[in-house]
Amino acid sequence: MRMNTSDRSARKVRRKFDDPKTLSITSLLDVLTIILVFLIKNVSTEAVKVSAEAGMQYPTTITNDKMLEEAGVTPIKIFPDRVVVGTEGLDFGTPADLMNNAKKRTQISEYLKLEAADIYKSESTEACLIVQADNSIPCAYITEVVRIGTNAGYTYIYFATLEDADWLKKYNVSSAQ
Amino acid sequence: MAVYKPSQARQQKGQTAPQEPNLVPIMNLFLTIIPFMLMMVVVSQVSLVALNFSQGEGGGGGPGAGGSGAEVLEKVEIHTMGKVFQQNNQFLGMEVREKGSDLKRIPAVNDNYDYQALDLVVKDLRSRKPNLTEVTVVMYPDVLFQDLMRTIDICKSNGLTSVNYKAAAVQYY
Repeated sequence: MRMNTSDRSARKVRRKFDDPKTLSITSLLDVLTIILVFLIKNVSTEAVKVSAEAGMQYPTTITNDKMLEEAGVTPIKIFPDRVVVGTEGLDFGTPADLMNNAKKRTQISEYLKLEAADIYKSESTEACLIVQADNSIPCAYITEVVRIGTNAGYTYIYFATLEDADWLKKYNVSSAQ
Repeated sequence: MAVYKPSQARQQKGQTAPQEPNLVPIMNLFLTIIPFMLMMVVVSQVSLVALNFSQGEGGGGGPGAGGSGAEVLEKVEIHTMGKVFQQNNQFLGMEVREKGSDLKRIPAVNDNYDYQALDLVVKDLRSRKPNLTEVTVVMYPDVLFQDLMRTIDICKSNGLTSVNYKAAAVQYY
């Protein structure tokens, strides 16, 4: 059989490689959008302010009080070796400074007064002080913080704990820590 | 149908197939935001214990002052003694002080406060006085924060929702 080589239309042109298919990322984008919406819903500024701190052992409690809605919050974190105040995480020295160092105590008091005044001025809500303290902090320091906080104008004071509904059942008085 | 000059008509191209929107920039944005937001998610949920600063017994006359018709508030205090108190008074533990009742002492066991005994005392208190919702927790300076929280927690979990906090007046000789 003889082929007519001059007939160009009959010639089948074959490409060496097929065109590469584009990667469809639409489904991935859908998933990411759902995750993003979910995360935005869950992440709130209050949760960040009351997040669990590494290097601090929280006491456990059965009860969990709800924070006042629309409250302006200032956290104060009392670690065994340092005191951190405000959302900016300003270092104010050691817990012992609360009792022994009048200058530091005045600084914390002044700072908290400014924060409370700022909350009342800008947000027009109640000012709440959240005390996050380590298990091993003596109550003398807590009392001092509560005293400074109430003098600075905080109307609500909360203590951060970890919720454990069974701590009392598990508590063994003869070997408790 | 549009008519073009020969010079312009040469440049008119045929209708192209609709192109997919370029999603790469938005993907980049998402991939940046998502790890950032994952970092901000609080994994362990911190609970809160609120303190009450209202003075139940304060302000404007005693119970017998008359005129207001307000109910006489019962005063119950739970004192937690520390090691310093133990050195001077030979007692480590808790005391439940109730007006009109005998003092209830809950001694510590192996230097640990007996919260299960305190729970029973508070339950008994609540069964005798179901309308009582206010209690004052008095802590000695050397008592640890976890003991303060446990004492407040036992009060709150038994329905004493209004907990006042007071530091013990300590005198050193």
